[in-house]
Amino acid sequence: MFREFKDIGRDLFLSGLVSSHGGNLSVRLGDRIFITRRGAMLGHIRRSDIVETGLRENDSSIALASSEIGVHRAIYLQTAALAIVHAHPPHAVVLSLGRDDIVPLDSEGSYLLHRVPVLAAEKTVGSSEMARLLAPALTDHKIVMLRGHGSFATGQFLEEAFQWTSSLEASSAIVYLAELAGGKIKEYRKGVSDYNSW
Amino acid sequence: MNGWTGRILRVDLGTGKITEEALDPDLAVNYLGGRGLGVQWLYREAMGADPLGPENLLVLAAGPLTGTRAPTAGRVTAVSRSPLTGTICDSSAGGAFGARLKRSGYDALVIRGTASQPVYLEVNPEKVSLKEADGVWGRDIPDSIRFLRRHSPRRASFLVTGPAGEVGVPFASASVDGERQLGRGGLGAVMGAKRLKAVSVFGDRLISVADPNSVDFILYEIQKLLEANPITSQAMPQFGTAMLVNLLNQTSCFPSRNFRDGFFASAESISGERLRRDYFSRRSACFGCPIGCGRIVRLDGREERGPEYETIWALGAGLGIDSLESIIKANLLCNRLGLDTISTGGTLACAMELKEKGLWPDGPAFGQANEVLKAIPRIALGQGDDAGLGQGSRSLARQKGVPELAMQVKGMEMPAYDPRGMQGQGLGLATSNRGACHLRGNMLGPEILGSPKMVDRLRSSGKAGLVIYMQHNSAVLDSLVMCKFTTFAIADEHYARLLRAVTGLDWRTQDLQRVGERIWNLERLYNLAVGIGAEADTLPRRLLEEPGRGRPVDLSSMLSEYYRFRAWTTDGRPTVAKLEELGLSQGSEGACFGNSKI
Repeated sequence: MFREFKDIGRDLFLSGLVSSHGGNLSVRLGDRIFITRRGAMLGHIRRSDIVETGLRENDSSIALASSEIGVHRAIYLQTAALAIVHAHPPHAVVLSLGRDDIVPLDSEGSYLLHRVPVLAAEKTVGSSEMARLLAPALTDHKIVMLRGHGSFATGQFLEEAFQWTSSLEASSAIVYLAELAGGKIKEYRKGVSDYNSW
Repeated sequence: MNGWTGRILRVDLGTGKITEEALDPDLAVNYLGGRGLGVQWLYREAMGADPLGPENLLVLAAGPLTGTRAPTAGRVTAVSRSPLTGTICDSSAGGAFGARLKRSGYDALVIRGTASQPVYLEVNPEKVSLKEADGVWGRDIPDSIRFLRRHSPRRASFLVTGPAGEVGVPFASASVDGERQLGRGGLGAVMGAKRLKAVSVFGDRLISVADPNSVDFILYEIQKLLEANPITSQAMPQFGTAMLVNLLNQTSCFPSRNFRDGFFASAESISGERLRRDYFSRRSACFGCPIGCGRIVRLDGREERGPEYETIWALGAGLGIDSLESIIKANLLCNRLGLDTISTGGTLACAMELKEKGLWPDGPAFGQANEVLKAIPRIALGQGDDAGLGQGSRSLARQKGVPELAMQVKGMEMPAYDPRGMQGQGLGLATSNRGACHLRGNMLGPEILGSPKMVDRLRSSGKAGLVIYMQHNSAVLDSLVMCKFTTFAIADEHYARLLRAVTGLDWRTQDLQRVGERIWNLERLYNLAVGIGAEADTLPRRLLEEPGRGRPVDLSSMLSEYYRFRAWTTDGRPTVAKLEELGLSQGSEGACFGNSKI
């Protein structure tokens, strides 16, 4: 498990999906959560950067856990997720500032994501408000955006949640560039209008 | 003045004279309040005074943020010369005393002299008076507070010394409202020696603030950070400071049996989790505190105040005791009688090792909770064979010819961190101006909790710079006066911004660091003047020679870095250049107190 944390954390950082001390990762093992330490550098995760605590209840290790532990718990309790990746993908964050969902234009993003909801909270770090908003959204989507903050992705494995994160960022970059180019999009996908209801 | 009331009160208990004077704005800027103000008055007006004599000062001071809407703004800091260590000493307590003092219209009370008979001081916006305390002298702290409440306004706050302070136990505490303690350094004994049983303060005046809109915004941002940080929003509210028991034990930094080990096999049974599960009734919070680390526990069908981390360690693991119920009872006894739990535990731990080594056959034994419960009242009242314990571990171990068995620095018993697993903490404890205290420059954040960042706790090189920074920060927080627990979530930038909005003066973080450095150096000057210098910047031999579960504290190399980084001489004296830089250059009248920057 340590190896997975280390590899995914490094790739998130090297991909520019998190800043030096941004983002967090967790996995659920039964009624326990293993989550990155508050302030850990995902590009350089050490064994002591992974904190074990309860799924439902705190123990004293909570003092070391990521600030987003409350969101992770809420997601695990309301979804089937076994792993969560929280990142700050820059193009997706830019798009989140001006829209209520991100609809990919590219093929891969369309297949994988269809539509990614953008949620808004007043307190955008470690708040109970975030937990209340994000967890229900992730019952119906594998990745969602919090406006101006970043993405929360779920999966059975960290790698899977990483994939949705990476894919969202790639799709967001394409949307951004396409809009910047100002060109008309020639739709190549059938049923794309239904993406809005995804 | 915005932030400060601009008034201080001087009380001479010997003559009964009470005078009011204006707070010098330069002093306010250079020393802020609380600890800073108290230290400069001690230095100027009571240098070298007998701690228990009439010339010693007892300063009770609030700070520029006290009584405002800033989080934890109810605290008070007391400053005096310690009867336990002989050093200059400050002690800070939560509760509401500081806020009530400030709202009564005063930034500080400067108390000197000795009353001819027991008195208590009553301060409110209309009147300040000394009252006979015959009816309350000799009573324990809860009883004293009940008495005072009957004779005071409904929302008054009280600082009270207990029987231990009255008889002069040098580690006697004083209690704020029976809930929070001025624990360390024996300031309860200073009150007792002055025959000052209590101070009662009441006031509801609003504190003038320069920029209320900015204050609102900054407080909102602070609140967000406190909510977002699991230490301040979850761990401490849920488990209290006892959250540290398991965390410190897991890192082998939880000393047991007089520091012979850095690990306690039964830690789980005295942990914050256990306290929560089996005894917790509700939490309590000091004035304006959103964290609420206080524990109200249920014991024998009654609600009582529960122990915090240091106490659980000092009266538990440090003594080889794993009964949480006994620890709760021992804590209640100490608080009722007015004893510092850390020094009480540290002294008992020393006695237990003496017994084990056959040097004090009649002393208490490790693991014997009932003996501890019997010993505490005798220590507090100076009675029986345990009276030897009543002078602290340094005195006790010296009497028995084995000074190295006292786990103390400068006469103050060690707190609940094994520095062999936290090298920086070791340096902080060795160089603390009031003796072995974790609150002078706590490395718990960077060495254990990763706050603000995690550093290698077993490394010693480079730690001196961080310790110095932490020491200055602590001096600032004790002068603002704010609770150090907020620092787990809030950076010093927020304090500077808040102070700027409250006072209307252009405070930046470097200004606060400079104030902290000034206070630290002035404390050092006081200690040097009374003969406490580099030779006292050390740790018990055990921690320097035995590895424990980490490695012996690499003190000599850290200390030489520390003196160098502080621009002190190699024998630990501030240089003239450093003192001039801080506005503390020593002329014919002692240190200069100018250097107003803002």
